[in-house]
Amino acid sequence: MIAYKRIKTVIAYTSFLLPALLLYIVFVVYPVGSSFYYSLTNWDGINPIVHFIGFDNFKRLFQDTEVISALKTSMIYVFFVALLQNVIALLLAVSADRRIRLKTLYRSVIFIPALLSSLSIGYIWSYIYQPTTGVLNIILKGIGLQALAHDWLGSPKYALGSVIFVTVWQYIGPSMLIYLAGLQGVPTSLYEAADIDGTSGWGKFVHITFPLIAPSLTINLVLSAIGGLKMFDLIFVMTGGGPGYATEVLSLAIYKKAFMQSSMGYGAAIAVVLSLIILLITLAQLFFLRKREVEL
Amino acid sequence: MNKAFGQNKWASYLVLSFWALLALLPLWMLLSISLKGEQELTRFPLSIPNVWRFGNYTQAWKDAHLGVAFWNSLLITGCSLLAIIVIGAMAAYPLARFANRLTNGVYTLFVAGMVLPFQLAIIPLYKIIKAMHLMNSPISAILIYTTSHLAFTIFIYTGFMKSVPRELDEAALIDGCGPFRTFWQIIFPLMKPATSTVAIMNSLFIWNDLLVPLLFLQGRSSQTIPLAIFSFVGDYNNNWPLMFAAIVISSVPLIALFVFAQKHFVKGITAGAVKS
Repeated sequence: MIAYKRIKTVIAYTSFLLPALLLYIVFVVYPVGSSFYYSLTNWDGINPIVHFIGFDNFKRLFQDTEVISALKTSMIYVFFVALLQNVIALLLAVSADRRIRLKTLYRSVIFIPALLSSLSIGYIWSYIYQPTTGVLNIILKGIGLQALAHDWLGSPKYALGSVIFVTVWQYIGPSMLIYLAGLQGVPTSLYEAADIDGTSGWGKFVHITFPLIAPSLTINLVLSAIGGLKMFDLIFVMTGGGPGYATEVLSLAIYKKAFMQSSMGYGAAIAVVLSLIILLITLAQLFFLRKREVEL
Repeated sequence: MNKAFGQNKWASYLVLSFWALLALLPLWMLLSISLKGEQELTRFPLSIPNVWRFGNYTQAWKDAHLGVAFWNSLLITGCSLLAIIVIGAMAAYPLARFANRLTNGVYTLFVAGMVLPFQLAIIPLYKIIKAMHLMNSPISAILIYTTSHLAFTIFIYTGFMKSVPRELDEAALIDGCGPFRTFWQIIFPLMKPATSTVAIMNSLFIWNDLLVPLLFLQGRSSQTIPLAIFSFVGDYNNNWPLMFAAIVISSVPLIALFVFAQKHFVKGITAGAVKS
C-alpha cells in the first residue's frame, strides 16, 4: 500500500516536470546540440544533403576579416556598455538613495526608455543622430559647438560610440533599480559608526557602500555583459552593422552569414564561438566578483 | 538619513535631473514629431507642433497594418506568458521540493539555458519550424518564446518556492489534497511575487522582440508590432511623423502597464536580479 502510494506520488510529480522538460529538450537542448553539429558542416539551409567538413568552418572563421572584426567590435561594444552602464547607474542610484523630493518620478522617467522596444529606440536615435536635420547636431550648432557636430552613425569613427551610448541610455533604468535595491540593504548604523570615526564621504563609499553592494554589482555586470553580447535589434535597426563593418557585432554577423548569405553551417560556427565567449565571460565574472562579495 | 555622501543633496538633484532630462528629451521629440506634418519637420524638432495632427495616428494605424499586428502581438505575448507561467511554475515545484541527483541535474540543465545566447539555437529552430509547417503561424513564435524563456522562469520559481514552507504541502496532503490541488490551490497563489516578476520580464521581452518575428513571422497577416513597424519603415522610406506615431502606439501598452503597476515592476526587476 505504501509502495503504491509512493509510486503514485512519483508519477504525479513527474507529470509536473514533464511538459517543461520535453518542450525544453525539443526546442532548446536539441537545437543547441545540433548547432554544434551544423557548425561542422557546410549546410546552406535549403539543400537537404549536409556535408560534414570537420573544423573547416572554424579555420575559415579565424581567417575571415569580417568575423575577426565582428569579434573585436563585440568586445569593444560590450566592454564600454558594461563600464558606462554600471558607472552611471551606480551614480544615479547613490543620488536617488536618500530622502529627496520627486524620487519616484525621477526613477520612473529614467526607467521609461527600457519599456520601449530596441527597434523604436533605434529609430528615435537614428533621427536624433542625423547629420543635418538631427537634433543633436542642431543643438551643438545652436550652442556654438559646430566643431563637435558629426555624422554620428554614418562615419566609421563615431558610429560604434553612438550605438554604445544609445544602449546605455536605454538600459540604465533597470541597472539603477538593481543598485538601488542593493543600497537600501546597507544598514545606516555602519555609516553612523564611520561618522564617529570621522571618515570622509568618499571613504564611506569605498569602505562601506561599495563592498556591501557587491552582489548588485555582480549581477549588473553579468547582465550587461550577456545582454551586450546578445544585442541584435538596436544595432540592426540603427546601422545594420555599418558603415562598412564598423558596428557589425557577432550576433549580426551570425544573422548575415546564416540567413542572408545562406551559410547556415558557417553561421552556426560563429554562434558557437559567441556562446563560448559568453560562457567564459560570465564564469570569469562570477568567479572574480563572488570572491569579493562580503556577507553581512 | 545617513548615507555615504551626507547632506550634498544639490548634487543628487543635479545628477538625477540631468539624466531624467536626457531620458525625456528624445521621448518628447518622439511625441512632438508624431503630431507634426512632414513640412514642419524642418523647423526645430523639439518645438510644439503648430497644428496637432492626430490624423497621423489613424494613418499610421492603417498604413502600417497595426490593427492586425496589435492583435498578433497580444495573442503571442498573452499565450506565451500563460504557457510560460503554467508550465514553468509546475516544473519548479518538484525541483524545489525534492533535492536529489536527478532533480539537481535537471535544474542545472535549465539554468544553463539562461546563459547560452538564443542565436545558438536559432539555426536548427528554423529547420524545425519549417519541418513542422509552422512558418508564419503565431504558434511558432509562441513555442519559441515559451521554450526559450522557460530557463529564466524555472530559475525564479524554484528560488522562490524554496522559501515557501514545506509544512503547507504536508498539511494539505494530510487533508486529502492530491499533488495537483495542493499545488494550484495552496502553493501557486503564494507565489504571486515570483509570478509578477516572470510576467513582467517576459512580457517586456516578448512584446518588444524583433528577431523571432523577423525570421518566423514574415507574412503581413502574422506580423507582430515591431516587425510591422520595421516593414513600414522599409516601405515608406522615412516618413518620420508616421513612423513615430506608429512607435508611440506600439509603446502605449507597456507604458500603461508600468504606470499602473509600477510597484510590481520595480519589485519584479530587482527580485529577478537579486535572487540570482
